[in-house]
Amino acid sequence: MNIQDAEHEESAPNAPTLLINKLSCSLVGKTQVIKITPGSCAHQAYGVREVTEQFHCNYGLNPQFREKVGTGKLKITGVDVEGEARIVELSYHPFYFATLFLPQISSRPDRPHPLIVAYLRAALAFHNSRRND
Amino acid sequence: MNQQLKVGIIGDYDPKTFFSHISTNEALSHAASALSVSTNFTWLPTLSLVGQSIGATLKQFDALWCAPGSPYKSMEGALQAIRFAREMGFPFIGT
Repeated sequence: MNIQDAEHEESAPNAPTLLINKLSCSLVGKTQVIKITPGSCAHQAYGVREVTEQFHCNYGLNPQFREKVGTGKLKITGVDVEGEARIVELSYHPFYFATLFLPQISSRPDRPHPLIVAYLRAALAFHNSRRND
Repeated sequence: MNQQLKVGIIGDYDPKTFFSHISTNEALSHAASALSVSTNFTWLPTLSLVGQSIGATLKQFDALWCAPGSPYKSMEGALQAIRFAREMGFPFIGT
């Protein structure tokens, strides 16, 4: 995005450009419904257009930067009902995701999380591609 | 024998403060079982990810995961490792 002075409100509360700032409403211990962009890598991983995820955070993408993020190579591919960014992914990269929620906390032995399964599938493909080099 | 995947977890392992650190390890095992592979994961303290030689450390992994737990002991170290994953095409997830 080429924002050279981007900062995080937790570690630099007085910085001029807070790309990540305190959420207007804390998401610690909360669950949200997230809408997934059709055709995205997230959609491919989940196989559905709407998911429910668990959060444990107080900071997120500053809504002032939402449009700027959407127009670059980093795409917002999961949003809550208010349209706030919950999943971002890099369009040109084989597998590059960030989530505001914690997929790992809802994973169970008999119900592994689909994003983490997709992540390891990408790791396996990467492993095999390097082995064949 | 199952294939083994090496995952580097960017973060300062502290399960007493961050309950999700244990979940991270467990979730990797759950997903690995589903794919009939095994995982060998290594937590990488952020202070160890500062400097010129992090590529040598990170290239041994098949994927990188940036764990919860801000503020990191070294934001610079965390960001350097995330940049490495982005620029070198390593599978990456940040949660």
